[in-house]
Amino acid sequence: MFEATELNAQHARTEKLYRILFGLMAVLLILPVITILTVLVVRGGPAISFEFLFSEPINGMTEGGIFPALVGTIWLVSVALVASVPIGVAAAIYLSEYAPKNWLTRAINLAIINLAGVPSIVHALFGVGAFVLFFNFGTSILAASLTLAIMTLPVVIVATRESLQAVPQAFREACWSMGATRWQTIRHVVLPNSVSGILTGVILEVSRTAGETAPIMFTGATLFLPFLPETVFDQTMALSLHLFTVSTQVPNVPEEVQYGTALVLIGLVLSMNAVSIGVRTYLRGKKKW
Amino acid sequence: MKRLAIVALALFATAACGGGSGSSRTLIQNKGSDTLVSVAQAWAEAYKEVDANVAVAVTGGGSGTGISSMINGTVDIANASRKMKESELEAARGNGVEPIEHVVGFDALAVYLHPDNPIDVMSLSQLAEIYGEGGETETWSQLGVTVPGCDSDEIVRVSRQNNSGTYVYFQEAVLGVERDFKLGSLDMHGSKDVVDLVENTPCAIGYSGLAYATDHVKLVSVMSAEDAPAVAPSVDTAIDGSYPIARPLMMYTAGQPTGAVGTYLEWILGDVGQCIILDKGYAPVTSVSCS
Repeated sequence: MFEATELNAQHARTEKLYRILFGLMAVLLILPVITILTVLVVRGGPAISFEFLFSEPINGMTEGGIFPALVGTIWLVSVALVASVPIGVAAAIYLSEYAPKNWLTRAINLAIINLAGVPSIVHALFGVGAFVLFFNFGTSILAASLTLAIMTLPVVIVATRESLQAVPQAFREACWSMGATRWQTIRHVVLPNSVSGILTGVILEVSRTAGETAPIMFTGATLFLPFLPETVFDQTMALSLHLFTVSTQVPNVPEEVQYGTALVLIGLVLSMNAVSIGVRTYLRGKKKW
Repeated sequence: MKRLAIVALALFATAACGGGSGSSRTLIQNKGSDTLVSVAQAWAEAYKEVDANVAVAVTGGGSGTGISSMINGTVDIANASRKMKESELEAARGNGVEPIEHVVGFDALAVYLHPDNPIDVMSLSQLAEIYGEGGETETWSQLGVTVPGCDSDEIVRVSRQNNSGTYVYFQEAVLGVERDFKLGSLDMHGSKDVVDLVENTPCAIGYSGLAYATDHVKLVSVMSAEDAPAVAPSVDTAIDGSYPIARPLMMYTAGQPTGAVGTYLEWILGDVGQCIILDKGYAPVTSVSCS
């Protein structure tokens, strides 16, 4: 019979130790999430009401609601998505399916990595120079959203490219051997099999876009605007900037309003994510491999 | 996928076309000083009731930000808690803009201490020694006090970022135009931030607009010279000029304001507008009786 030697026992102990250590680190990750959510719900929860969500801020932003900021954030995120998802997905398809391995491809990949590393305030300044002044969009939703779109392009491109490359090469080869063209293969085999990964990229983009303050501060968001935006050429209020405003700029704002605004911002992102995660899970269920 | 793209394109097209059919509303762009931002917001909010066809968009960012936007022509009215610098005036004229200054109110710049701090009165020269470059005062004991809760005894200097009009005004009025700030201060990005920090830091001293005072901080009475009377910051002492660090609050326009901007400024300087600034804790430019 097998009998554990001292060495075996020692290995088993070390194994256990590392298992616990790594497990602890993993669990530690959820601590900040739980803490943030708990604090926000406890402190901001009481502020949330129908009126808070659907009315304008009044009395120097100390009372009333956050409706214009909520609407503004939805505008900013939607226009940014419209601008960045088609470009990002197309670029990823090229890089994954068409691009030859040469200096140009390497340069493009390098550019994407660098774009992802540019601080958001630098994107903001670029947005002012390019969209507000050069293209003459003025400070507007369009300028702000395009700035956000450029900032989040790397997220979409990288997520899409990874999910395209996760589709087994054999699928493509099988398709080609049936006489399909590259585009037919992409359209009918590669894309349907990678939609879930692309959606992940979009989810990440939504979260980042909704939360950013710096890039929209100079390009399109205002601290206070007495009307709701009607076109992409209007300025807008935004949840992230509103949160900054009520917590650092305007005196005597009740704490519930500050925490409530933060809670709505997180809630908006989480609910958008939830929808996408649902779609993703459904699509993944249909995967054949 | 294709359907998604079509929907997206359609949405974008609708939005883009909507831009052409602008409404009849006049939009006034108002940007600048963080000190003025809360009252600027209150004016914009109240003006909605006065003229529904005029909308005022308010943005903060600091006096410098507002002034440079006015010079660039991207805003109609720049809020400033300091006068325009000579270099800014030159830049404006270089751009063909003649800035017109409108004094819309006065602000007493209050010196804030933690409520446990025993100091009630300070002179301008004491403040300069604390904040100014080369100043000797580094600890509270040098001022002859022990601050409960401040074990290090070190004075934590709370200041503002350098595009703040409050920063520039404090430098001019307290340190003197030539003297710089001592390094190592905590530079905050909003008037309210300063007060929040001092409220929670026994070792701290800070300066910010009187309008940002709360019940949890102490306001220091200031002497303009060692033998001068100590004056507490208040709306009244700012109006009569006895408080030594009170400053005018300005709005700048590119050229004489006309049309909607002119009407808006007239309204701000009228009884209703001035009562709003008084309500926000600043001193009005004219004596008004408000309910």
